[in-house]
Formats: sequence, structure tokens, C-alpha cells
Amino acid sequence: MKTVLSSEWLKIRSVRSTYLILGLSLGAILLGLGLAVMAAHMYDTAPAAKRPSARIADLEEAVVIVPQLCMGILGTLAITSEYVTGLIRTSLTVVPRRWPILAAKSTVVGTLGLLVGSATVFGTYFVTRWVLGDRFSGAYTSAFLDRLPLLTTLSLTVPTFALLGLALGALLRSAAAAIAIMVGLVYVIPIIIGNIPEPWSDRLGSLMIGALPREITGDIITTSVYGYLLPPAVAAAALVAYAALPLVAAGWLIRRRDA
Amino acid sequence: MIELQHLTKRYRDTLAVDDLSFTVEPGHVTGFLGPNGAGKSTTMRLILGLDAPTSGRALVNGHRYTSFSKPMREVGALLDASAVHGGRSAYNHLLSLARTNDIGPKRVAEVLDQVGLTGVARKRVGGFSLGMKQRLGIASALLGDPGVLMFDEPVNGLDPDGVRWIRDLMRSLAAQGRTILLSSHLMSEMALTAERIVIIGRGKLIAEATVAELTSRYPSLEDAYMSLTADSVQYGAAR
Repeated sequence: MKTVLSSEWLKIRSVRSTYLILGLSLGAILLGLGLAVMAAHMYDTAPAAKRPSARIADLEEAVVIVPQLCMGILGTLAITSEYVTGLIRTSLTVVPRRWPILAAKSTVVGTLGLLVGSATVFGTYFVTRWVLGDRFSGAYTSAFLDRLPLLTTLSLTVPTFALLGLALGALLRSAAAAIAIMVGLVYVIPIIIGNIPEPWSDRLGSLMIGALPREITGDIITTSVYGYLLPPAVAAAALVAYAALPLVAAGWLIRRRDA
Repeated sequence: MIELQHLTKRYRDTLAVDDLSFTVEPGHVTGFLGPNGAGKSTTMRLILGLDAPTSGRALVNGHRYTSFSKPMREVGALLDASAVHGGRSAYNHLLSLARTNDIGPKRVAEVLDQVGLTGVARKRVGGFSLGMKQRLGIASALLGDPGVLMFDEPVNGLDPDGVRWIRDLMRSLAAQGRTILLSSHLMSEMALTAERIVIIGRGKLIAEATVAELTSRYPSLEDAYMSLTADSVQYGAAR
């Protein structure tokens, strides 16, 4: 297993697309900075009477979509680049048990996802806190420890996407199909769910990846497009399941399918 | 040694390999011939455990391929030279394969030297010609210094110098006591390289003989092939 892991680590760091994707992911911090500067400017130019009622969304939550998608794509490419070239046959020939390849790829993209996810979420938080100061009724002046649980669970959604992307790539053997499903999960399905009648909008909205971090930490807000019906433990299990179920299916299938 | 015992592979309604039994012995090059679609590549995939046989079995040195924990030390194979990630360097491509079987960077440098790619080892494989990719594929097969080697059409895309190089390499690997299974459609080249020939058509064994036997019964190996496979050509112009 250690030997396969070192091979997969070399594979991912020896192609340029990895560095492009990591760079784009970390670019999300700049996006957060831009949003914070804009918000600060709007706040400063607003009439003094309106300032006390001004609110701002949690920018980390808005920005985390970028590393989610980017690292999902990294996970997908880690395996579909082998299927599209035929390299997968060589990979499966040198590791005939096959599952160690999937396990090693999971470890590599999961770890990169965790690092990049934490860097972007916490980076955006600190940049925003620095830019906004005590504007917006002190939204960004609350104690860091109070925000830590939500920031941590937001960070954890990024490795979830990396593993989901890898599993979808292994199952579908097509980057286009796997990426389409991830974009659907992040953008398309929440919009559809937001427009169906209650109570189903809330029920299904509670299952979306975007809803899970706040359900896990109990930081419920009323202005969200998602529902918040799941208790913390169930929401945590759902977050794990988003990565684990497709991975288990992929592991089962990769052993049985002709290459 | 490679042993096929009643090996059969069915894909839905196509019988790709049909009750195929033959043995590839060490010490000489065995040529593997047959028309397009005869099942040569499928047979090699079955030997390597990439596809599961419908029935029968393929053994390498008496074991199923999938039972090897470090298969590169037992079997080296080149199935498709273009099956590489174009963005990765030749060195990193080989090292990523070597690492899975606990083979070190020193051996990677050795095989790069052996196939003549040392000068472009750090170049991205996407810029390689087909002939250079064939050399890279042969290097990956040699990484584990295995006793059994399989090459599917390794001569395609090589220049005359490269063709002669492969011929000499195959013969010297066989002379070291290794088992070599080599498929090719170039009959004149096969006549110069192989000592034994296995011919299949429509998934079935057609002939198993030495080159000397075939060339004594027919004017040339090409004539022997044309005559023996006349009923098995699935994709060809009328003749």
C-alpha cells in the first residue's frame, strides 16, 4: 500500500494540471478579498442611518464553492486521465489487486483537498476579518473560537468533493460526466429544490452538501436557500456518505470490471 | 513460461477467444500471429488479468497473474505504447510504475539507457514520436527484470534502426532464458526474430509450429500465414 501511495503521489505532482487546479483553488482567497473590499466600500458610502441594519453573508461560505469544484475536478482527473489515455491498463497490470490504486488516489486527493479547503476557508476568514474590521455591526469581530466549528466543517466539504469527484470518475470513466454531476450538485439541483413546494423544498434542501456544515454545527440562518432539518450527527453522516458511498461502489466495480 | 488452458472469453454475443490452449516456452521468441480481430490482444489482456476469462485459465510460471504481489518482477508487458499521460516526463512515468513494485530510481535510469531514451528522460511524453513511445513502453516492460515478456506490435512506428534494435533485443532477451511472446503483422520481420510461431484466427488456435517447419512447407512465412489464415480473415478486402 505504501508503495502504491508513493506512486500515486508522484503521478499527481508530475503533471501541470495539478498546479493549475491548486492555484485556481487558492485564488478563491483573492475572490474573498475582493468581495470584502467591495462590501467595506458599500458600507462606508452608505448613509449613516442605514449602516446599523446592514448585513453581510459569511464570505467563506460563498467562496468555498471554488475549491469544492476545483478539487472535485482534481479528484476526477486523477483517474479519468488514466482511462482516456489507456494508462489505467498499465496501472491495473502492475497492481493486480486494483483496490490499492483507488485507496492511494483517495488518500492523495483527499489530503490535498483538506489542505486546500482549510487554506481557502481560513484564509478568506482572516482576510475578510482584516478588511471589514467592526463594520456590519461587528459581524466579523466575534471570537475566532466561536467561528471555528463552522469554518472547520466548511473546510471538510472540500476533501468530500475531491473524493466524490474521484469516485464518480472511477464509476463513469468519463471526466465530462463526472464533472457535470458535481456542477449539478453544487448549482443546478439546489436551484431546482429551492423552487419546489414546501415541505419538500426544506426536506431535500437539508440533504444538499451546502446545507450540511450549518446543520453539523447548528449555525442555522433563515435566509438560506437550503433547509436545515437534519440533526448534527445525521448531517455529519450525510457528509461522509457523499464521499464514502460512491467510493465503495467504485472500489467494488473496479475489481470486477474488465479493464 | 505461459500456459493457456482452454481459455475462453465471451463479450456479450462475441466469442473473442475460443477454447484456446497453447504453451509459450522460455529460451526463444514465440511469434503470435493472426488477422485483425483474431483475439491476440484479448488473449494478452486475459494473461495479464485485465479481463476475466469466461472459462479456462491462463498461467504464468504456474500461477495466475492476479496472484502476484509484485507482478513486474514476473511479467513485463507492452500492450499499447500510446497509453501514457502526455504531460508526464518519461522518467516520472517509469518511476511511478516502478514504485508500485518497490523498484528504485536506479533501475529506471538503467532501462532508460537500455532503450536509448536517457537524453529525453525529462521531456514530456506528449512530444514523443510513436517510435519513442514504443521504446518507452519496452522500458516499462523491462523495469522489473522479468522472466516473461509480452509485446503487442512493438515494431509499429519504429525506424529501420529501431526495427533492428528490437529484433536484437528480443533475441538477446530470449537467449538469456526468458519467455518472449511477440505479436506482429510484419511477416518478414517475424521470420527474422521468432523461432516458434502461434497462429490464431477467430479466437481459435490455427497452428503452433517452428518457423523452420513452416518455411520448409511453404515458400515463406508470409505464404504460410496467408494460406493458414485464409478462412479466418474477418476484416479484409476480397482476395
